Amino acid sequence: MKIMRKLFLVALVLLVALQMGFAKGSSESASESKPQTITLWSGYPEMEPFYKQAAEKFKETHPNVTIEIVSHPLREFEQKLSATIPSNTVADIIEVSVYANQKFIEAGLIPEDEGEVLDFVKADGRFSDFAIANDSYNGKIYGVPLFQGRTALYYNTDMFAEAGITEPPTTFEEMYEDAKKLAKYDSAGNLTRSGHSLRLSGQGSGVAEKFWFVLYPMGGTFIEEGKTAGTYHAAYNNDAGRKALTYYIDAVYKDHWDDQKIKHDAESFELGQTAMFFRESWVIGDIASKAPNLNYATAPVPKDARWGRITNIENLYVTKASKNPDLAWEFVLSLLSEENQRWMFENVGWLPCRNDIDISDIIERHPQFAAFTYTDPDYDEYGYLPIAAFDEVITKLAERLVTAFLDSSLEGNDAAIAKTISDAANETNEILKRYNLYGE
Amino acid sequence: MKKNNNTIAVPLKRYISQTEKKKRIFVYCSIIPVIAIFAFVRIIPICTNFVYSLFESTVVNPTQKFVGLKNFIELFHDQLFLLSLRNTTIFALFVTIFSVAIAILLAALLTTQSKLSPLYETIYFLPVITPMVPVAVVWKWIYDPTYGLLNYILSWFGISPIGWLVYPNTALIAIIIMSVWKIVGYNMIIFLVGMRDIPETYIEAARIDGASSNQVFWKVIMPLLRPILLFVFVISTINSFNVFTQVFIMTSGAQGAPGNAVRTIVFDIYENGFRYFRTGYAAAEAVVLFVIILLLTFIQFGISGKGDSSKKKRAIFRKGAVK
Repeated sequence: MKIMRKLFLVALVLLVALQMGFAKGSSESASESKPQTITLWSGYPEMEPFYKQAAEKFKETHPNVTIEIVSHPLREFEQKLSATIPSNTVADIIEVSVYANQKFIEAGLIPEDEGEVLDFVKADGRFSDFAIANDSYNGKIYGVPLFQGRTALYYNTDMFAEAGITEPPTTFEEMYEDAKKLAKYDSAGNLTRSGHSLRLSGQGSGVAEKFWFVLYPMGGTFIEEGKTAGTYHAAYNNDAGRKALTYYIDAVYKDHWDDQKIKHDAESFELGQTAMFFRESWVIGDIASKAPNLNYATAPVPKDARWGRITNIENLYVTKASKNPDLAWEFVLSLLSEENQRWMFENVGWLPCRNDIDISDIIERHPQFAAFTYTDPDYDEYGYLPIAAFDEVITKLAERLVTAFLDSSLEGNDAAIAKTISDAANETNEILKRYNLYGE
Repeated sequence: MKKNNNTIAVPLKRYISQTEKKKRIFVYCSIIPVIAIFAFVRIIPICTNFVYSLFESTVVNPTQKFVGLKNFIELFHDQLFLLSLRNTTIFALFVTIFSVAIAILLAALLTTQSKLSPLYETIYFLPVITPMVPVAVVWKWIYDPTYGLLNYILSWFGISPIGWLVYPNTALIAIIIMSVWKIVGYNMIIFLVGMRDIPETYIEAARIDGASSNQVFWKVIMPLLRPILLFVFVISTINSFNVFTQVFIMTSGAQGAPGNAVRTIVFDIYENGFRYFRTGYAAAEAVVLFVIILLLTFIQFGISGKGDSSKKKRAIFRKGAVK
């Protein structure tokens, strides 16, 4: 009887174990074949073709996985994140820069990199120290750098030849003089072609970011670290800040090679309404589709007191809202593959963040990219600081700059220029104080 | 409670018939879900907003620290808020006055029933049903200094290109013009309905008594339109104080209007709440906006109530004593 009972127990245990094993196996195979959807949100509509082709490739090895890609204009996208990250209704993957995501990182709403992803990011020579530092907060790394927005000078070669200018400017002084020669006017004195398209109007932080392109080479920046680590203060209430604002005011009023009425930015360049402007490499792709006959070249940002270009890193993050983070990360890493990164560079125009990929053949085919990959020990890279207050600092500065650019009384008025800069810097410091980030 | 012996005791519960009871149940069942939804989407958020306005907030915690009236005190020292208050007041004043005046004029012209009246009504009403975002984008093109339709038309008269959205003095005017165009059709339809509702006998009586068209309009039609005028004024004021979409669209992009020149309260609320995540501060701004609109509505009701002689006029008309 005892033997029978033991045999029965053993049989029962075996049966349960078998059942469990079967159940596990079947659930695993079910999850492998079960249709799954991963959503990706981007703030750059021009990136959509890149994600779509990568999703198709991913589907070849993951036939049950559908990648849904939704892109929005950048500002609308940032607002969407504001509503959906805190409410945990955001997509599985988001493509966003640190400056827009930092407040969520600091609030603990974005998961840090771990395991295979962390190893991938930290691999020797894969990403620049600048990119890693940009993505770090409190000693942890968040997200994976996907592409970078580096600035260079675009110039219309036909207009340069017509004005007898043989080389792109290498200093801000040269650039100013070239802009004067390149500007054109109608009989009534209205500007019909700007010498250099500066950003003079519009809401948001864009105006300040473009002001930075001039401010940094002149020796200033928006905020710099204070004596105590982790504290900051305004770093443009100085000669550099005043010189940068004077540069703009003189351009609009004294020599009138740009003004608010003429079109600006890439649109202006593509329409032949400006001879020069600063922008990132995506414009190359934009010109190819909108103005394929435009004759132009690119050059590094000119020098002044120092030399440097802005570099904005755009990252991919898997969010806490993702129900399948492993699969989402797998797709993210596939986007970072050499094949996909090269496709992105050649077809969209955004410069990959990965340093360990050979893109020389693409640059050979499209020489305009060269200025964006140009390096020199003296050519600095600067970018958005990973602090939540940064967006407010530059947006409020942008609002003040727009008002200043409209004020013709600033022309030749050093005291008024100094006051404008000083008032703006005081506001910057007040914002930093409110965030408990201010330090001398 | 003392009972007087001479009075008949009235039962506390009035007798309700079964049919009445069923009717009431039906009414309650119909109204309660609507009230519940309204409370959920309107009343509760408004009350919550009042609470949030007393707190300092973070992106994840809207009630992180109780600060009392600090947000309100800070608001009245905030130059951007004061600027947006000024801009919004100017905007609301001009949009309300012009949209009401033009709408009355159009309604008066369309009151006479003609074959083409429905066509004109449709044309004037079209901007109202068109979504604001595409409308704002189209107007941004119209105002473009280089390629804009408006400057092109002005060039026929030898007027140099104007940067409508570029300069502060013209940017607000440009947005006011566009907003008046957008809502004038709605106001016109309301006035038209009101005018057509005025019995023809009143107007005939006035004419028999020798009133000119001008007198008929000012002495007969306008006084009788007073309740509708009040409604349109209140709605236009509320809508104008809540202006946002057209400002947001027209200030975006490299060719956008200078943000501060057309900065309005809702735009400022949006920026503080959804860009800088100062939800407590933004909630305080929303409370101020709520109070302003409430006060203006009361003032409008007060002014209308004081001068409301339409009832008297109707009585006079009945006696045929209009002069």
